[in-house]
Amino acid sequence: MAVSVTSPFVQALNTHAETLTSLVEEGRKAMGYFCHYTPVELIHASGLIPVRISGGPGDVEMAYNLAPDFICPYMKRGLEKALAGNYRFLSGLVQGYTCDIACGMANIWADNIDGDLFHILPLPYEDTEESRRYLQIEYRNLIDKLSDLGGNFSDSSLEASLDIYARIRTHILEFYQKQFEGKLPLSSSELWQVIQAGFVSVPETYLDMLEELQAELISLPVPDPTGVPVLISGSLIESPNILDFLESRGGRIVADDLCSGMRSASTTSRSSSDPIERLADLHFNRFPCPSRSRAEDRLPLIQQLIEKSGARGVVFIFQKFCTPHLSDYPFLSDQLKADGIPSVMIELDESWQADAQMGTRLEGLFEIIEG
Amino acid sequence: MEKTRKSNKRLQTAKELSRVVADYYKECGAAKADGRPVGWMPPMNGAIEIFYAMDLQPVFPENWSPVCAAFGLTPDNFDVSEGMGYSRDLCGYLRNIIGYVNGPINDPSFPLGSLPAPDIILSPGGGCIPVMKIFHALERRFPEAKVLTSDLPQVAVEDIQEHHIKYAVEQINRLVAFLTEVTGRKLDMNRLSEVVQLSDRACALWDEIMTYRRFIPAPFSAAEMGIMFVMVTRQGTRIAVDFLEKVLAEIKERAANGIGVIENEKIRLFWDNIPLWYNMGVFNYFEKMDGVVVAETYSAAWSLRLDTSNPIRALALKSLMSYPLVSCVSIKKRREMVLKACRDYHIDGVVLHRNKSCVPITLGQMNIKKELEETLGIPSVIIDADHMDDRNFSTAQFQTRIDAFMETLHAKKQSLAMKIP
Ligand code: SF4
Ligand code: SF4
Repeated sequence: MAVSVTSPFVQALNTHAETLTSLVEEGRKAMGYFCHYTPVELIHASGLIPVRISGGPGDVEMAYNLAPDFICPYMKRGLEKALAGNYRFLSGLVQGYTCDIACGMANIWADNIDGDLFHILPLPYEDTEESRRYLQIEYRNLIDKLSDLGGNFSDSSLEASLDIYARIRTHILEFYQKQFEGKLPLSSSELWQVIQAGFVSVPETYLDMLEELQAELISLPVPDPTGVPVLISGSLIESPNILDFLESRGGRIVADDLCSGMRSASTTSRSSSDPIERLADLHFNRFPCPSRSRAEDRLPLIQQLIEKSGARGVVFIFQKFCTPHLSDYPFLSDQLKADGIPSVMIELDESWQADAQMGTRLEGLFEIIEG
Repeated sequence: MEKTRKSNKRLQTAKELSRVVADYYKECGAAKADGRPVGWMPPMNGAIEIFYAMDLQPVFPENWSPVCAAFGLTPDNFDVSEGMGYSRDLCGYLRNIIGYVNGPINDPSFPLGSLPAPDIILSPGGGCIPVMKIFHALERRFPEAKVLTSDLPQVAVEDIQEHHIKYAVEQINRLVAFLTEVTGRKLDMNRLSEVVQLSDRACALWDEIMTYRRFIPAPFSAAEMGIMFVMVTRQGTRIAVDFLEKVLAEIKERAANGIGVIENEKIRLFWDNIPLWYNMGVFNYFEKMDGVVVAETYSAAWSLRLDTSNPIRALALKSLMSYPLVSCVSIKKRREMVLKACRDYHIDGVVLHRNKSCVPITLGQMNIKKELEETLGIPSVIIDADHMDDRNFSTAQFQTRIDAFMETLHAKKQSLAMKIP
C-alpha cells in the first residue's frame, strides 16, 4: 500500500544525480551543503538549487588520502563520493561552522574538488541584537558571492523562497504530528525516504510531491501499532535499513530528534517585512543541533517530544566518531533515566550494518520497557 | 623507549620552568584567600589579558591536561569520565578534564595543589566542539559559578573583515561588563594598556626566540616546548616577559657559540600537531638518529603581535585569530605557515602527528603533506597517535615508521651532498 505513495520520493532519491545533472546542463546551478544550518533559502532565492550532500552506506578508500579514518562516516563517504565524481553537478559548497568536521571538510573540498564557490559561513551562537546585525552582514556577503556565480537575488525572491520552504516544513511537521498520534500510514523508513528526497530535489517540485502525498495519505488505512514506542536521537541516519532493523527487534519509532529527520523542519520565523530578518529567525529558532547548543537546551525539547509521542525509551543512533552527539550523550541519558526513560546508544560506521550485538542491546531495552 | 619519559632538556632556563609552573599554580590556589575571583576559561583568546588587568585569576582547564599527563594521572581521569559515559573516541582533553573535575579535584595530594573551583566560567561559543563541550560540562559541575557564554564565530584568518572585528570587540566589551557586574571591579584602561604591552612584548620575545631556530645546529628543539607555558598562562604579565628574556639570552648565547641540541645534527625536522604530552621522550628518539625537531605548528598559535595603541581591538583580533590559525578553519593559512617554517628553518622532513584526540588540527594535514612534497620536495611521514591517550599510541609502530623515514632522509641528504661538488 504505502509503497506506491512514497515511490515518487524513492524515485527522486535514486535518480537525483541524473535529474540535477540535466538541470545543470540546461543552465541551472546547484550548490551543496552538509547541514541544515546552511541558509538554503538564500541559495534558492539566488536561483540555485540547494542540495544536501549525503554519505550513504559504502566503502571509503580515496577519502583516506585526504582525511583520517576517525571522522564520522557521513563526511568520509561524502568526500569519497565527491572524489569519485558523483557531485560534478555542484558548483561548490556553502557550509556553516557547525561541527569541526563540517568546517574542515568544506575546506578539504575547496582544495580538492572542482567548484566555483566554497564558502564557510561563520555563524553566531547567541541570539542578541549584535549577533543578528552580524549575521545579516554575513548573509549579504553570501548573497554577493552567489551573485558573482550568476545568482539573481532579490528581496522578493527571498520572500518566495522563505514561503516555499516554510510550506515544506509545515508538511513534514504534519507527518510527524500524525506519527506522534499513531495516525501516520507510513513506516519509519518510508518517512525517512520522503524527507531525504527533499534534500536533493528542486523545492518547488518537492512541495508538489508533498502536497500530493498529503492528499493520498487521507485515504490510507493506518496499521495497528505494534512494538515498543521509542524516540530515536542522533544526527543523520543514512540508511533506512537501520530503522527497519530496530522495528524488527520489537521497537516502534514514534518520534525523532535527527538532523536528517524532524530537526530539519523544526524552525520558525515571525512574519516580518524584512526577509533577511525572517531568515535570521530561522537560524536562531531551530531545534538545535548539539554542535551549536548545550545538552541542557536540548533536553526539554526531547522531553516534549517524548511526551507528545508517548515514547517510552530512547535509542541514540550515532554516526561513529560524532563528537557533538557523543559529548552530550552522558548528560542526556542520565537525565532521561531520571525521568524513567531508559535508553541505549548504538554507533554505526560507513557500512550502516547493524550487528547481532546491537540487536541484543535493542531487545534488552525493549524488554526493560515492557517490564 | 619507555612511556611517560621526559624529553632531554638542554636549556638551563627550562629547568627554571618548573618553578614558574609551580608558582602559577600556587597563585591559583591562593587566589581565593587573596580575594581574587577565579575564572576558568578556554585558552588562546584575549580574556586572559582582561583578567590580569582586572586582577582576577585566570585558570585554563584545557592546559591542566598536559600537567596531568606529565604526572601520569590521565588514565585515572579517563576512567572517571569513561565511567560517566564519555566515549573513548572523544578528545583526550575533554575526557581528562571532565574526569578530573568529577574525580580527584579535591584530593589534597594532587600535584601542584590541584585547581581551585571556579567563581566564574567563560563558556565559549566558538573554537572547537570539544572545548565548547568541556565548558558545558564544567557549568554542570560547578553550578554556583557565574557563567558568561561568549560568542565568536569561527572565521578563517584570511577572511577576517571589519564586521568580524567589530563583533569580536562587542564580545570583549560584553566580557568586561559581565566581569564588572559579577566581581564589582572596574577595568582600568591604563592598566589594560600596560598588560597588552606586556603581552605583545612576550610575543615579540617569543618570535625572536623562534628566529634562532634558523641556526644550524639548532640551539633548542621541540623537546623544550614546555617554555610555552608562559605564553599560555602568563600572557600580559611581567613574569612571562622576564622568563622569556632569560630564555632568549641563553638561546642567543648557544647560537653564537654554535652549541646545538645534539653534537652531530644531520636531519632537521618539523612536527605538526600537538605533542604526546604523556611521552615527550619521543623527541629523544629522533636525536639518536642525528635528527632534531627544530620547529612545530603548535607553538606558533600562542604568539600574535598586538596593536598596543588599541588594546580592546587588539584582544578582539587575537581572540578571532588564534584558534583558526592552528585548526581546520584556516587550512590555507596553516599550510602557508608550515611551508614558510620549513623554508625558514631549513627543514629536511616533516612528522605529521595524526592525532586521534584532535580532529580540528588533523583535518587538512594531508593537504599540507601534498603541498610540502609538491612545492618544496620535503618528504613527510604520518605517525598515528594521540596527544593525551597513550592507548592510541604504539611505540613499536612509531619506531618502525620513524626508522624508515630517517633512513630515507639520511639517504636523500647523502645523495644531495654527493651532487654538490
Ligand atoms: S555533527 Fe556529527 S554526524 Fe554531523 S557532520 Fe558533525 S561529526 Fe558528522
Ligand atoms: S579537539 Fe583539538 S583543539 Fe579541540 S580541545 Fe581537543 S585538542 Fe584542543
